[in-house]
Amino acid sequence: MEGPNVFAARLFPQDNFFVSGHRACQGCAEVLAVRMVHQVLGRNTIVASATGCMEIISSSYPDTAWAIPWIHVAFENSAAVASGVETGLDILMKKGKIPRRRIQVVGMGGDGATADIGLQALSGALERGHNMIYVCYDNEAYMNTGIQRSSSTPFGAATTTSPAGKQSQGQSTWKKNIPMIAAAHNIPYVATASPSYPFDLVAKVKKAMKVKGPAYLHIFSCCPTGWRMKPELAIAIGRLAVQTGSFPLYEIENGKLEINLPTPELRPLKDYLKPQGRFRHLDDATIAEIELRVQAEYRKLERRQGQVL
Amino acid sequence: MAVQDEQKVSFQIEGRSYQGIREESLLGALRRYGYEVPSLCYHEAVSPYGACRLCLVEVQKGKRRKLTTSCNYPVLEGIEVFLDTEKVVSTRKMVLQLLLAQAPEARSVRELAEEYGVTDTPFKKDEGNACISCGLCARVCKEIVGADAIGFAGRGLGKRMVSPYDETNQACIGCAACVVVCPTDCIGLKEENGIRSIERWHRDLPMKNCKVCERPFAPTFQLNHFADQIGVEKSHFDTCPNCR
Repeated sequence: MEGPNVFAARLFPQDNFFVSGHRACQGCAEVLAVRMVHQVLGRNTIVASATGCMEIISSSYPDTAWAIPWIHVAFENSAAVASGVETGLDILMKKGKIPRRRIQVVGMGGDGATADIGLQALSGALERGHNMIYVCYDNEAYMNTGIQRSSSTPFGAATTTSPAGKQSQGQSTWKKNIPMIAAAHNIPYVATASPSYPFDLVAKVKKAMKVKGPAYLHIFSCCPTGWRMKPELAIAIGRLAVQTGSFPLYEIENGKLEINLPTPELRPLKDYLKPQGRFRHLDDATIAEIELRVQAEYRKLERRQGQVL
Repeated sequence: MAVQDEQKVSFQIEGRSYQGIREESLLGALRRYGYEVPSLCYHEAVSPYGACRLCLVEVQKGKRRKLTTSCNYPVLEGIEVFLDTEKVVSTRKMVLQLLLAQAPEARSVRELAEEYGVTDTPFKKDEGNACISCGLCARVCKEIVGADAIGFAGRGLGKRMVSPYDETNQACIGCAACVVVCPTDCIGLKEENGIRSIERWHRDLPMKNCKVCERPFAPTFQLNHFADQIGVEKSHFDTCPNCR
């Protein structure tokens, strides 16, 4: 189900705060996601960004692609800095030094900055209940340093630190389930989204803005360079990831789980793996093994549909 | 978009000077400069209508100072705009009470009312209704889609948004842009068993299955309409965007 996607595109917010002139690769879906998220978040936003692709391509001196206040912080502490900014603003407003109005504070990072290096800072920020949004743009490896594996890299994917060869089938561990880790903090809003489904993404960012307390968004960001695939397939791969069940789109609102694009009949996983060079070495037996696991995970999610976690 | 100098006008918001474009929507300008003004019926892609009355501001032009909706008020040289004055806030609360009575089921109205401390309404409630009759769906259908399939029927208290004669309209292509844009989510879209139905307009359209992956992806009626519009064979839309 693609949903209403024909004319609704013209109803998209028109003002860009992540502007053209950045240096992202061709077909980068991550940069598309960043642009769309900030089209919705609007002008009154402060961003704390961890090191990663989005920092490298958007802020090489003396240029910037950001038309809003944007802070580059170390790899591990974007959530900590965002929570500090939020608290600082709150105190300045309480003291009457700045007028009281809604300023959205956002922490952003890649999967490495979220799942590996920045996990403790993120966990702390979520636990303290700051009124902020944390967005993880998940491209499933450390891409800007040259495609090293992260804990978010899926099983079987070849990266430079989990190469495929005679002795190895690529990544030997399964993808870490960060949205569920975030949900385990009992925060009001957790969602997964994908730029291949822009209206779903827009609705989720809007919801995240509305909640009082921390919101966590996990955005699937196809990386043609690191995934060894054709740049023009970036959007299609995002759709296939959802349709095959390897990246289901769901949201957890006040603990209640809902799958947004239910796919009762999952597409064969091969459709998703085949166009990507990082899965080229996989034989049919391994693909079947991965498919079994992916489908089991999806059915597990389906069983929890509508339940309060 | 480059703006010519003669198009630029200077005006004041809360005592601070700004430059705007002559006759643009005041609400659009306010939001561009980062001011928060609530509204439900305004969308930057279509013409303003001033239906929900929530975007109230006070505008001083020369010696006259008046309360007005900012969405359909033009930016003019030398005007002074005041937000959230006592008069604005008290009137907005009254408007919220009226909206609560008109559409008690609308979640967005209830949330906004709560923000302003309005929890109940002294007016008679139209139970079960979620539509605030803002007409945003009809404006989108006319100006963006070009189908003009829906409109207002009746007047006064009986005014409501319907398809003509409250029956199925063949002009509706089932694009569901109205569902996306509705501020109170009162139109209702379902996709089940290969049929897309938009409940409020009584429109049920069978979906086309993709030739390659055999999944439904868009209403057949809509695809035929597009094929006619751009002058290609109907088979042009046999496959879904993924398999194309």
